[in-house]
Amino acid sequence: MSLHLEHIKQKFGSTPVLNDINLVIRPSEFLAILGPSGCGKTTLLRIIGGFLKPTSGTVRLDGTVYSDSSVMVPIENRDLGMVFQSFALWPHMTVREHVEFPLKSRKKAGWPAEKKEAAVAQAIHDMGLDALADRYPGELSGGQRQRVSLARAIVSKPSILLMDEPLSALDAELKINMRKEIQDIHRRTGAIIIYVTHDQSEALAMADRILVMRYGVIEQLGTPEEIYTHPESEFVATFVSKCNLLHGTWQGSDFHVAGHPFVYPDTGIAYPLKEKGLYPVRPEQFHITYDGPGLEATITNRQFHGREIHYAVTCGKEEFQVFARSGEVFFPGESVRLVFTA
Amino acid sequence: MLSSKIQRPIVRLVFYSLLCFVFVAPVLRLCVMSFHGAEGYSLANFITLFHDQRTWEAIKNTLIISIASTIMAAFVGSFLAFVSAYTNIRHKKLLELLVLMPFIIPSYIVTLSWSGLLLKQGHINTFVTSLGLAPLDLYSLTGIWVVLGFINIPVVYLSVVHMLRKIPAEMEWASRACGFTIWQTIWRIDLREVWPAIASGSLLAFLAAIDNFSVPAFLGISSGIPVLSTYIYEKAISFGPDAFPMAAALSVLLSCIAIGWTLLESCFVHSRSAMESIKEDFQPRIILNGSRRKILEWGVTGLLSLLNFVPLADMILNAFLKNYGLAVTYSNISLRNFSFVFTNTGVLTAVRNSLILALVTCLVCIVIGTVLAFRQVRCHSLAAAIAEKCAALTYALPGIVLALAMIFQWTEPLPGVRPQLYGTIYILLFAYITRYLILQIKSSKTALNAINPELEDAVRASGGSMLSVWRYVLVLLLMRPVLSGSFLIFGLSLTELTLSSILASAGTKTIGLTIFSFQQAGDYSLSAAMSTVVVLLLLGGYMLAWATSLKKKEKNVYELASRTHKTEIRQHASA
Repeated sequence: MSLHLEHIKQKFGSTPVLNDINLVIRPSEFLAILGPSGCGKTTLLRIIGGFLKPTSGTVRLDGTVYSDSSVMVPIENRDLGMVFQSFALWPHMTVREHVEFPLKSRKKAGWPAEKKEAAVAQAIHDMGLDALADRYPGELSGGQRQRVSLARAIVSKPSILLMDEPLSALDAELKINMRKEIQDIHRRTGAIIIYVTHDQSEALAMADRILVMRYGVIEQLGTPEEIYTHPESEFVATFVSKCNLLHGTWQGSDFHVAGHPFVYPDTGIAYPLKEKGLYPVRPEQFHITYDGPGLEATITNRQFHGREIHYAVTCGKEEFQVFARSGEVFFPGESVRLVFTA
Repeated sequence: MLSSKIQRPIVRLVFYSLLCFVFVAPVLRLCVMSFHGAEGYSLANFITLFHDQRTWEAIKNTLIISIASTIMAAFVGSFLAFVSAYTNIRHKKLLELLVLMPFIIPSYIVTLSWSGLLLKQGHINTFVTSLGLAPLDLYSLTGIWVVLGFINIPVVYLSVVHMLRKIPAEMEWASRACGFTIWQTIWRIDLREVWPAIASGSLLAFLAAIDNFSVPAFLGISSGIPVLSTYIYEKAISFGPDAFPMAAALSVLLSCIAIGWTLLESCFVHSRSAMESIKEDFQPRIILNGSRRKILEWGVTGLLSLLNFVPLADMILNAFLKNYGLAVTYSNISLRNFSFVFTNTGVLTAVRNSLILALVTCLVCIVIGTVLAFRQVRCHSLAAAIAEKCAALTYALPGIVLALAMIFQWTEPLPGVRPQLYGTIYILLFAYITRYLILQIKSSKTALNAINPELEDAVRASGGSMLSVWRYVLVLLLMRPVLSGSFLIFGLSLTELTLSSILASAGTKTIGLTIFSFQQAGDYSLSAAMSTVVVLLLLGGYMLAWATSLKKKEKNVYELASRTHKTEIRQHASA
């Protein structure tokens, strides 16, 4: 089944929050909606979930209309599960009761008791909660709570799983571990996953496609590789792949760097960037040397990150970011050359 | 100068003995007095009481009234809290004001106005009897618990409404995503979450019902319906050698009921580690469509306005008539009642007494309460924490019991010392301060907790002394929240009746007691006129406070609280 969003607009009072969103989410697709806070990503998720009626536009799952100008299917009648940033667990229920809860609804009245029991056992087992089944949420750690929340969302086998920044409340290491869990869930259930996040590394790591949003409009939609290597706007270039934007002039498929005798090749730079005379260079595409053929720059700061060292450099009036391998040590104040390697 | 090594234990000793002397000793004296008889100490008082049919009747009535009024307050209060917290009705501010009205108007004035409205020959009862029904009689057991239930609605409402707003909306969304409708969600999730708040609100309502003296005094004494609080009053003001011991024994019984109920309830309600958010969420969660919303909106606010304002309006109107219950014609209108109220020396003295008592109580409570709160919040002083528990004890005791305890304590505070306080205004002052101090400690604590201690550290780090911390930071930031807390104390002590009914004497009557005496003497018109003045003053005062609070919206409270401190506030709130 695929989910169709057609001409979705949302206004809060006179403030436009979403402006004409059109999107088809393919069957079993893992779509990440990525953007800074206030870009409208959570609003879009709430519209899909039915927590919010769009000002105009249509949401439909294949032929079933969920929201349009005349129809507003209530949340409970939509075929979905949801995971929240705050976990949204109920303090008075045990882990098992949480997982059983969705199957007690009228929607699942048709399931035979054995099927329900098997589904509960499966969901608890899949999320590794067997030993914790009789605990209350207050007795669980953050990661365990989010597992309960995931088990609750998948137990009724919904066609769509909505995830609203599910990893934001967890600490750094746990975040990375939970990514794999969510990918496993996606493989096992085959559900559409719509995953809202402001963390580009999460989106790049897990999603089949990424929807980058800003100011309530779609900036770019594509696979993680496309978004990362071929950003179509200045915003995507800087927000997702942390590109340095070089100024210069485009002559055919050659980019002449302003004020320098260097020419960079066209690696598939998007038209909107070309039009503005910009060339995006990702931090790892510059190589720092003392005397290579490159832009003159001065090191201003160094941060050691283990496998990489992050340098801040000034190049003319611009501030650039360069990621170097851990052996390549330079000192603040040194004059260096930035060699572009495509 | 003594060195601080010797000084500190001495200060501590003095402080603790003062605590015992002011808060604990009166209670102990009361207990001792209940065993006191003509032939030394024995259980004789209790045996005599239990042989008296009237005691059993009073216990039975007390239980019936308290339980019935609690059930009423719990249902209505919780329902109104749900409507106010979750639905999308408009004019919620007005609704809240109407619900809290019985907090503003003293309960004896509410009772007075209701009994005036339901006079046997009044409009309502004329109408009811014309339908062939029995007239509504407020001077009955049912009348007492209905009025008490109505008065205690805000107690439950306040406890429930904040909890409801604190339940995160995500918890409901999660349930709806699981396939449940909003009503099923309210039933299965929200009601379970808010249950402890309903229970603790009901407990407070029950204790308030047991404690209440004015309602059964106004409605029950003349119609011969004894409850424990009025029975104690009758015993205490009667003459005879065993008056006080008997009253003390009854007080012990009443306190036992209060403590017993509290224990019973704590067995049933377990506090679980709540996961509510610290911030209240005011977004409506149940969206009613136009016509349903209007019906609810008009139904609830309309009914509450009727219940609140019609009796009051009726009372005010009657105060302008020559006699209570006369037809409103030009010839019947007179200002006689008011001219009496404004010229009678007894009334004027009472007003002066109440004003002085309220003011001094407020000032003393602000100073002592804020210092104790500061010691507790900032210095984690054990002594201050114990002081709070002691002050809570004298507030938890029924007022009539505390009044008796005050007499026993202050007629001879130390062996051989007889300061002759009984009969003067000082015993009233002591009683008010002992009773209301806890309210100021609580509100000062809340105010202090909302202030980031780093603000004070910053003054010290910039070279300021402790004096400048108070002068430039604390006094300015605490002023508003602390004053709003003491405003409550001012209102309570200005219109106080229970304590003064026992402690006041000829020259030290209070406003509440004057209205009570008029009513007991059958002078409804005078009591109505005096109540009118009090109501207008109170409403005026609250309007003024409300208007100033609207002007300065509190924006800075949350910004001032640091992260670590918020968790502390939270723990404090859940404790």
